[in-house]
Amino acid sequence: MESVLTRRNIALVALLAFLVAFPYLYRIQPFNQVLDPFRTFQVTRLAIWLVILLGLNLLTGYSGQISLGHGALVAIGAYTTAVLMHEFGVPVVFAVLAAGLFTGAIGFVLGVPALRLTGPYLAIATLAMMLALPQILKLNGIREWTGGVSGILLSTPRAPAVVEGFMTDRQWLYFACMTPAVIMAVLAWNITHSHTGRAFIALRDSEVGAQQMGVNVPLYKMLAFSLSAFYAGIGGGLFVFTEAFMSPDTFDVNLSITMLVMVVLGGLTSIAGTVFGATVMTFRNDLVDLSASLGLLGLPGKIVPGEEQSSETLRGALYGLLLIITMVFMPRGFVGFVDELRGRAPWRRAARMFLRGRGGDADPALDATSDHAE
Amino acid sequence: MGEFIQQVATGLSTGSVYAVLALAIVLIYQSTRIVNFAQGEMAMFSTFIAWAFLGQMSFWPAFFVTLVVSAAIGAALERFVLRPVEGAPVLNSVIITLGLFTVFNSLALWRWGGVPRPFPSPAVFDGSPLVVGTVTISRLNIGIFCMSLAIMAILFVFLNYTKVGLAMRAAAENPAAARMVGIHVGQMLSIGWALSAAVGAVAGMLLAPILALQPSMMFGVIIFAFAAAVLGGLNSLPGAIIGGLVLGVTQNMAGTYVSPHTGSIDITVAFVAIVVVLVVRPTGLLGREVKRRV
Repeated sequence: MESVLTRRNIALVALLAFLVAFPYLYRIQPFNQVLDPFRTFQVTRLAIWLVILLGLNLLTGYSGQISLGHGALVAIGAYTTAVLMHEFGVPVVFAVLAAGLFTGAIGFVLGVPALRLTGPYLAIATLAMMLALPQILKLNGIREWTGGVSGILLSTPRAPAVVEGFMTDRQWLYFACMTPAVIMAVLAWNITHSHTGRAFIALRDSEVGAQQMGVNVPLYKMLAFSLSAFYAGIGGGLFVFTEAFMSPDTFDVNLSITMLVMVVLGGLTSIAGTVFGATVMTFRNDLVDLSASLGLLGLPGKIVPGEEQSSETLRGALYGLLLIITMVFMPRGFVGFVDELRGRAPWRRAARMFLRGRGGDADPALDATSDHAE
Repeated sequence: MGEFIQQVATGLSTGSVYAVLALAIVLIYQSTRIVNFAQGEMAMFSTFIAWAFLGQMSFWPAFFVTLVVSAAIGAALERFVLRPVEGAPVLNSVIITLGLFTVFNSLALWRWGGVPRPFPSPAVFDGSPLVVGTVTISRLNIGIFCMSLAIMAILFVFLNYTKVGLAMRAAAENPAAARMVGIHVGQMLSIGWALSAAVGAVAGMLLAPILALQPSMMFGVIIFAFAAAVLGGLNSLPGAIIGGLVLGVTQNMAGTYVSPHTGSIDITVAFVAIVVVLVVRPTGLLGREVKRRV
């Protein structure tokens, strides 16, 4: 019998402990240099992005279906949650769950046209959905609920009386979003390591091949769409608590595109990559500013406080440039890049040459470690 | 009835611009299998270049100089940005063109600012509108329509009757075989991008007098151009034209006859139409299905 004290389990427990301790860390000496309640709030956002991006990665990374319209699903989740809570007085937990299920159902229906579309055609069809959604949310028939152009005013939840003294509102919000994020991440891990996950990957690599191996292609495609929509719905539901206001234009095409970019940047078919993508998504503006202030990218000085106009717009140009450079030099995303580095490490190369010299071309143990991106 | 014809005429004029931009998209897709999401921003950037030249010279010289500069930018992009990732998964090239989108948009905003600027139309297009019965069409609209037709005709002749055009098609159709008969495939891809950038520049310069020149000018247009390209079939040039015209008319019709009852819904109607067409014909109206071996 294997010991429970494997390196992996210890790492997981440590991670969990860190996540629990995180919102309190800013009170302690060395951490208060970089952390403050606003950082806690940013990490809360990160948790929400993680949920949303995990869903997108299930769809695009694992099942190979491009979606440029994921923001529309997030919007549906957010609106469902807000309407259920404000108009019908549904308790928070149920509202978010219902939003997830409702969005999941919509994803299932959207999977039907997607059965016949591939590649660029699917990209455009999902983009079309994204563009149409703001108009639909502003339609006369449902304006009474959605508030039309003027949107919905939201309120951040207050910490309940039970936890008073232990948690501020922001810390409460952190736990309220981090808990579902962790649950959804574990769920994603389990799905991708199950029969279903392997069916998704088979589907991505070759639909015909998957069919030959007995995968019910239409069913799994629709399942991928509805699972990913379920994640988007939950993420959208949580999103409601971190915003003061939302309107149909909160969820624009740019947001959808940025989401897809972050998933690819982190690394497709990798949960670790998705965590990385969610981190970049949350801190993307801070990151570009940081690299500019350090004089990286050869464009220092241009981005200085005070020159608002040029700072804002050059930030966009840098961001685009970073994307292009990343795709040229790290085509498999950040996680793929890290894997490659590890595979290139000198001792590993030496080991491989040694094995090859003895006639053993591929050592399964070596391959298993270097092929860590699932 | 008069209003109906009026809407068709206006729709055709809008649609012809969609068609020109869609042609630019199809030109790139045909040769490199890349959907260039930056097409609209490249067109906007070219229009700003034209505007800069307009300070030095009159309209038509500026027009042609802009075409040359845009073509050079297009070829350089293909050679230095897209070539290194040749053969990478579709998603990677999608992300790269999305990156180009941001770069061009931000550069224009940084260099020229976000304030809309008037952009002149050539003198031929000014003057009193044309009136036929109850239908009134502005000269600018007619001019746009005619220019679009001219572009289509030039492209048609170029691709069907010139040596370079035929070589381009060969390189797109079957790169390996094209190489064997001595066609420099890489050069053809660059020419494809150059041509596409120039065609996009024309679309930008046609639209600028109506929309006013600004970095966000193409946002509302490019998406319809994509839709037009997809509707017609991403690998069909005639399809792009038909797709553009159909979409222009549909959008105008929905705006006139449906929106007053429901709130603005023209985009939605246009896109529902596209999704329906795609579900029935997944490769668009005139697109050919490419069979792939497993």
